[in-house]
Amino acid sequence: MNGSKTLLTSYVSQPGEIKTSSGKTLRTDEMIINMGPQHPSTHGVLRLEIVVDGEIIVDVIPHIGYLHRCFEKHAEHMTNYQQVIPYADRMDYVAAMNMEQGYAVAMERMLKIEVPERVEYIRVIMAELQRIASHLVAVGTFGIDAGAFTPFLYAFHDRERILDLFEMTCGARLLYNYIWVGGLSHDLPPQFIDKAKEFCKYYRPRIKEFNDLLTYNEIFVKRTANVGVLPKDVAINYACSGPMLRASGVNWDLRRDDPYSVYDRFEWEPQVGKGEMGTVGDTWDRHIVRMREIEQSVNIIEQALAGIPEGNVQAAIPKRIRPERGEIYARTEAPRGEIGYYIVSDGSTTPFRVKARSPAFVNLSVLPEISRGAMLADLVLIAAGVDIVLGEVDR
Amino acid sequence: MGSNGKIIRKKDLNIWQKAYLTEIFKGLRLTISQIFKPKFTYLYPEVRFKPQPSFRGRPVLVHENGTERCVACGLCSRVCPALAIEVQASETELEKERYPIKFEINMVRCIFCGFCEEVCPEEAIIMSNEYELVFTSQEEAIFGKERLLKSTEEMKDRLEFLRAHR
Ligand code: SF4
Ligand code: SF4
Repeated sequence: MNGSKTLLTSYVSQPGEIKTSSGKTLRTDEMIINMGPQHPSTHGVLRLEIVVDGEIIVDVIPHIGYLHRCFEKHAEHMTNYQQVIPYADRMDYVAAMNMEQGYAVAMERMLKIEVPERVEYIRVIMAELQRIASHLVAVGTFGIDAGAFTPFLYAFHDRERILDLFEMTCGARLLYNYIWVGGLSHDLPPQFIDKAKEFCKYYRPRIKEFNDLLTYNEIFVKRTANVGVLPKDVAINYACSGPMLRASGVNWDLRRDDPYSVYDRFEWEPQVGKGEMGTVGDTWDRHIVRMREIEQSVNIIEQALAGIPEGNVQAAIPKRIRPERGEIYARTEAPRGEIGYYIVSDGSTTPFRVKARSPAFVNLSVLPEISRGAMLADLVLIAAGVDIVLGEVDR
Repeated sequence: MGSNGKIIRKKDLNIWQKAYLTEIFKGLRLTISQIFKPKFTYLYPEVRFKPQPSFRGRPVLVHENGTERCVACGLCSRVCPALAIEVQASETELEKERYPIKFEINMVRCIFCGFCEEVCPEEAIIMSNEYELVFTSQEEAIFGKERLLKSTEEMKDRLEFLRAHR
């Protein structure tokens, strides 16, 4: 982002000269269009400064920070480490469980806590349910951006059932404060396992239905295939992660490649884009990778539900968290990619520094690269394919 | 299209393909079949969503026959990540010795995390099932004791849930 000085001067036209906020002078036939911050297709408060030549995009400059809530600074001013968790929730509010899990994993590595097996299993179940819920929001809104409204309602209907499961467990439907350092706030209610199994059974055919309705729809394919192609090397150079990276054909999933929790006990496959409808790494690939990941998550949940051991979920929660001086970086796989927490402790009861590496922020940085040369109408789809959550981009 | 800046022209289609009629009908068949399935939406505000006892709505204080359980220890106020609670202690003749002369929760600040409920030694502050909070000013959002206090009968469901799952 540029400073306010350039922002103020950017649109002042000297005779014969108009500059973008990145300092580039416009040619006569180019034009700046502002999309957002109050635009439904930016999925939040994101402003895109678009330089267009006719209908072809010359450049896109994302302006972020409208939803900045000082997560990192807040974390330093809590009275203990546990209190950071509700704030971590609010980073990626669509996938709050995964945000909590990342923080809990980092803190447990710092404190060298072994959490009980039951906790790990429940965390896996919750994280995967949350992944499904989050991907449902992603693919649902993606449909809306392509002009298909109905799939969105289908997606939200199913997501609602997952939220019911969460509500049953911890009482909240969006921001859970459930996964604590060393354990969980509540044990599973007795009827949870049956309800969750029921959900998996109900949900499997719905994936196919959704694919019929949206994914393989000819109109949708025409809109998304070959649009916003992100080549493998560019994806790696920009440090993309999650479905964004995998859609470009890089087989990289932290659940397998940097194992945490008990993911190594289950049978599942990371999904990569294959370019079935166009080029590897196009917007359609990003969509299908999310759809296939949903299927894999259902697999993991079913296996975890079958093998869940008994135990006390609060046994390992430390009474007082006071890590030794030191630092830790731990990363986990959130629905949008690698969520990493870098935590520095000075030996007191509050963190000295918390830095969150948020996946959507990094993924967003590649947007200008993949939308240059595309049509203006396709930008909406390209941005939706990146699947940003502004709460996490701005933190 | 894409990062190389080249424009890919779409294949020429005949008029039948351009209309995408088959695809539209395929989609419509699925959506029309949904009409006959049961509805899953609420006609809010006529029909309201009834939360389960596990639901974490706004925090309330519990009173037994008019005496609040709270002993004004201030733990909830200390643990609250949003700094929403203000407690002022005073002494009383009753067995618990201390009571809150002032207890305020700023509902605009509260983030419904449930830490206060978790930490309270007396089970005096618990999360209710109320989720509709509307204010017209900042002052109105600061709930004092008169609006926070609920009797044990009213909060029976939640108290039972807490006993079973804590
Ligand atoms: S509500 Fe509970 S935690 Fe808060 S001051 Fe009263 S007794 Fe202490
Ligand atoms: S629910 Fe959380 S934010 Fe609200 S008053 Fe209790 S501790 Fe504070």
